[in-house]
Amino acid sequence: MNWSKQNPGWTMFAAMLGLLAFLWGLAIPLSAAPDPIGPAAQQFAEGARITVWLTVVSGIIGIVLGVLAGIGRMSSIAPLRWLCAFYVWIFRGTPLLLQILFVWLAAPQFLPDALQPSDFACAIIALSLNIGAYNTECVRAGILAVPHGQIEAARALGLSPLQTFIDIMLPQSMRVALPALANNLASLVKDSSLAYAISVVELTMVGYRVQAESYQPIPVFLTVALIYLILTTAFTTLTSALETQLDVGRKR
Amino acid sequence: MSQVKPTARTIIAARDVDKHFGAFHALKKVSATFREGEVTAIIGPSGSGKSTFLRTLNRLEAHDTGSIVIDGIELNDDLKNLDAIRREVGMVFQSFNLFSHLSILKNITLAPMRVRKMSAADAEAKALALLDRVGLKAHAHKYPVQLSGGQQQRVAIARALAMDPKVLLFDEPTSALDPEMVNEVLAVMRELAHTGITMLVVTHEMGFAREVADRVIFFDHGTILEDSTPQDFFNNPAHERAKSFLTQVRHGF
Repeated sequence: MNWSKQNPGWTMFAAMLGLLAFLWGLAIPLSAAPDPIGPAAQQFAEGARITVWLTVVSGIIGIVLGVLAGIGRMSSIAPLRWLCAFYVWIFRGTPLLLQILFVWLAAPQFLPDALQPSDFACAIIALSLNIGAYNTECVRAGILAVPHGQIEAARALGLSPLQTFIDIMLPQSMRVALPALANNLASLVKDSSLAYAISVVELTMVGYRVQAESYQPIPVFLTVALIYLILTTAFTTLTSALETQLDVGRKR
Repeated sequence: MSQVKPTARTIIAARDVDKHFGAFHALKKVSATFREGEVTAIIGPSGSGKSTFLRTLNRLEAHDTGSIVIDGIELNDDLKNLDAIRREVGMVFQSFNLFSHLSILKNITLAPMRVRKMSAADAEAKALALLDRVGLKAHAHKYPVQLSGGQQQRVAIARALAMDPKVLLFDEPTSALDPEMVNEVLAVMRELAHTGITMLVVTHEMGFAREVADRVIFFDHGTILEDSTPQDFFNNPAHERAKSFLTQVRHGF
């Protein structure tokens, strides 16, 4: 832990490398495991890859949405403020499973055939919108935490409102928002399992299928749980190292 | 004292400046002109409008009515004028307001690079020269929290100077400092006063006002009650209010 605090850059690199190696090599140790895990090793590895894809893609889109809507909530334009508040209200106030089902079942009704999203894309859309709503509040809290005096100082130095935002407010608000955003990302690793409801073959779905064939739920679900734990550990190591990296100027 | 030439031109002209905060009448038709190179100490009790007046001069507070002309440019809602004025008017705050996520060096180079479009190398060379001038060159790569209050305020002065302002506004620059740090900041300001830059200093440091300023303005209840030389103001203040203020301040030390 101390080492990772002192070398945040290396820790991030190691966590990322470890995650990639884990995803690529997962099938090898698993295939050596006894029945029912061994024969399904490739399936587990594929499921873990899909889970990570769901997390990373909707995590990134969710950050962008969160920053945009977070800024929107602080806007001086009232309708924009209302729109962003409405977005948060809807997506925090309804179950994620309902949102996933809604996107999956509603999209075919109002999109032309050529634009029909895949099951995977439906899951990405719903997960991104959901985590984006939670991120919005984190970003807003971060923006509110930037000391007003620093904004005045930037304006007094002749920086434009946009420059003040990009150079002063955004980096500082992200530093404040990061622990909460990291927390949301860790939840997303697990929330992505709800995509099984729309037949996306991610890790939980793989576990469900394997135990249905083998009638051995205990080893199968323990394996799935272990893979989730390794994934969340990799993600939280990554984000806490990033936090340390960005924490310059606050440590003495 | 900086010896302003009698022929020096006017750089700030405020006329009938009025400002309300809700029902509170903060500035009541305040008029004053300041000449290039003049060092003015602005003093007065809390809530008298002295800081508000200073903050209207770079539009951190917008005045309600009246006019403010700085270096020939009218300060109004026109953003072009505002940008032009803010490039010429630097400000040093009571609470330093350094950018906490940037190193000392970057705090100083940011505005010259963004606003003056200076190259990184030029901006850094300039920042290091300014840090040398305020005695903090060795701290260039530290972060604001690693410095004492007095050091942070000296950095803030260097940051303002990096824009080569014609006018420097100081809003109670030593009020947030521990007593033993006040002098290091005043020493930098004293040195600056001799360089010919126009300085407006809202302060409670009567010693500084008396020694360094060319002119003392005394604010009370949103108006300028006295506007005179330090000698006249400190030896024979014209108004009762100024007399009692000076008595109270002296008893404080």
